[in-house]
Amino acid sequence: MISGAGLVEVELAGQVDTFGGASGEEKARQFGTSGYAIRARKQNS
Amino acid sequence: MTEGTLGANIVELVDVDVLREEVKKKYREVADTPTAEFHFHTGRQHALRMGYPESPLDQLSEGATEAFAGVANPLYWGLPQAGEHVVDLGSGAGMDSFIAAIAVGPEGRVIGIDMTPEMIERATRLAHELKLDNVEFRLGFIEDLPVDSEWADVVISNGVINLCPDKLRVYKEIYRLLKPGGRMTIADICVEKPVPEGALKDIDLWTG
Repeated sequence: MISGAGLVEVELAGQVDTFGGASGEEKARQFGTSGYAIRARKQNS
Repeated sequence: MTEGTLGANIVELVDVDVLREEVKKKYREVADTPTAEFHFHTGRQHALRMGYPESPLDQLSEGATEAFAGVANPLYWGLPQAGEHVVDLGSGAGMDSFIAAIAVGPEGRVIGIDMTPEMIERATRLAHELKLDNVEFRLGFIEDLPVDSEWADVVISNGVINLCPDKLRVYKEIYRLLKPGGRMTIADICVEKPVPEGALKDIDLWTG
């Protein structure tokens, strides 16, 4: 989807357990939800 | 969230206006009572746990960090550089915008965008208290950003795009905002398991 908008060099990193210990943890685990850092770049024209 | 489970067809499953009102309601609560119990963590310790750097976080007051409700660390690859223009999508109470404002310095500028008036009011007041005059907050939707095209060197965001049904439109807006060669460094949640259509239609699951 990010590439579909025209951005390039899409990268995910820095996975974290966002909801661990919070009351939303159970629902988050149900769908395997984690937090990530995501980067991409707009090409030089 | 992963492509395939959450594509553009979600727009047809969810009433966007109802979802926006529920999200506003949730984050209005965060703005008003940031230390209350939510289904997610908030505050400075949560930011450190997500991987934010001690500095410049240590330059921010408790008031500037207590309503932070991010999902990971958009600064994983480093801070914005001095003099850069930064746009913060879904700026909330402003913590990421304040960190960016400190990083870009007096020659740089930061614009935070949020759809919740209470958050805009809170972030603007905090910016004055922190004497950060290179940051401003604008009311708006991240699917239709009130910022000129090719203004930004960097677009940041934390835990917000997952709340928008039309994610492709958001990413197209990011593309429009960025200068050629500009970069997006955001944080958001991804799901590893398929999300059933019934769950996608459940507004309560989007917000809690």
